[in-house]
Amino acid sequence: MAINPVPDHVPPEMVRDFSLFTSPGMPPTPNGDPHAAVACAHDGPPIFYSPYNTQDGRGTWVITRAADQRKVLQDTETFSSHRSIFSSILGETWPTIPLELDPPAHGAFRSLLSPLLSPKRVTALEPAVRERAIALIDRITASATSCDVMKDFAFPFTVSIFLRFLGLPDQGLDTFVGWAKDLLHGDDVERPVAARKIVAFIDELATNRRKNPVDDLMTFIVQAQIEGRQLTDGEIRGIGVLVFVAGLDTVAAAIGFDLAYLARNLKDQELLRSEPDRILLATEELLRAYPPIQLIRVATKDIDFEGAPIRKGDYVSCATMIANRDPEEFESPNTVDLAREHNRHAAFGYGPHRCLGSHLARREIVIGLEEWLARIPTFRIKEGTAPITCGGHVFGIENLILDWS
Amino acid sequence: MRIIVHNAKCQGHARCWAQAPDIFKLDDDGYILPGDIQVAEGEQLLASQGARSCPERALEVDRTSAARFEPAAMQPRTGEA
Ligand code: HEM
Ligand code: SF4
Repeated sequence: MAINPVPDHVPPEMVRDFSLFTSPGMPPTPNGDPHAAVACAHDGPPIFYSPYNTQDGRGTWVITRAADQRKVLQDTETFSSHRSIFSSILGETWPTIPLELDPPAHGAFRSLLSPLLSPKRVTALEPAVRERAIALIDRITASATSCDVMKDFAFPFTVSIFLRFLGLPDQGLDTFVGWAKDLLHGDDVERPVAARKIVAFIDELATNRRKNPVDDLMTFIVQAQIEGRQLTDGEIRGIGVLVFVAGLDTVAAAIGFDLAYLARNLKDQELLRSEPDRILLATEELLRAYPPIQLIRVATKDIDFEGAPIRKGDYVSCATMIANRDPEEFESPNTVDLAREHNRHAAFGYGPHRCLGSHLARREIVIGLEEWLARIPTFRIKEGTAPITCGGHVFGIENLILDWS
Repeated sequence: MRIIVHNAKCQGHARCWAQAPDIFKLDDDGYILPGDIQVAEGEQLLASQGARSCPERALEVDRTSAARFEPAAMQPRTGEA
């Protein structure tokens, strides 16, 4: 493992041996609990420096308190989102959009996309989402009393809804899931290959929709206008790639972690099954306990932030899984309490980049859990199997073999 | 009771609306409409729960009954309060 030299301006006492990539529980671990593993960040100072905390091995400041993360993420002038996480895999520097643009440029693109994912729009999608969940679960129960939830339910469910939103046919599903896996959890060879395939695919789709418009997201983007002009090829690519990556893996991971929790906590499982009205609130608690994303910002100027001498160009990490275990924000943060109220968790981030897909993601998780619990009797993790979990920019769960025989 | 709405802080999480759709009205993109909210007698608990569910702290509960008269101006959606 390459360790970067710690920059001179970082006081040695602020450096901690902590990493979302290499700390215990972060590499693929059977029966791991990476979210609990990072909660230990709260045993130390509220802000510290981690010498190895991005996919490409950079050091970052780690902001542990939810209140401080809110400050960082709301202050886009000091903490920029322009860091080319995706394109740097290809050795390039273009931004994914709107994720890696700062205000004011960010606003125009965000306004373009937000009506497509608004609470109202998502309500209209609900019947299709439910129908898809039921069809998949019925197919599983028709022939088995055990399955790999990730492969047989979580991915096909969330990705097919998402493909419908993008206007893509279901038969690409396995290919797309494979690309997402390689991109998020692959090695140095797999990641650029996957990134290149995704870019080529989006470029081709844009060209195609320009020639043959249909009623889908990509057609909407190639025809859209901002500030009185059409979008450039680069902007179309930036949006297409982001939407593709943002929705592919996150919801599936959330459903996987949630069902793994319920498989291990039969009382809670039975409670939600017998009183499904509780699922709405429980979903928020599970999003708090098992959020998938680490957010990164880049300092645009020197600033002393809550005692940390942050210098221009420094990376600043706001890991939602750390904020969500902040004892100053949540009572008994390491206890999952499915009836927790006033749950202002950070799973979807804070500030102007707050997840645009949050309303859709929430509906998918709630409906997925409702239909799963209504149709599958008491389930446990199949004896002799172990779900493999991992940390990183996006926390994941690779397999989850459940058994209800 | 009144809810003071800090529109500049609202990022469209729609958590307030999820708690009390009749009290917290959103625009078509899912952001809260401008203007403070006068809460009717009987709806105070629901309103304060809605306000307390805002992740951005954009909703402030004002328990004094004195109403302010200047309407809250439409503000840009930037990060600063
Ligand atoms: C449980 C599932 C999901 C979680 C936990 C999640 C989380 C997040 C987070 C934390 C951010 C903020 C990133 C930052 O500030 O740097 C974000 C941004 C975003 N997400 Fe999600 N997301 C999920 C699902 C989705 C889905 C299904 C979609 C699309 C349909 C989506 C679309 C987006 C977009 C477009 C942005 C960028 C918004 C902007 O920059 O203004 N997300 N997401
Ligand atoms: S919960 Fe807060 S951020 Fe979300 S819509 Fe309501 S006021 Fe806006």
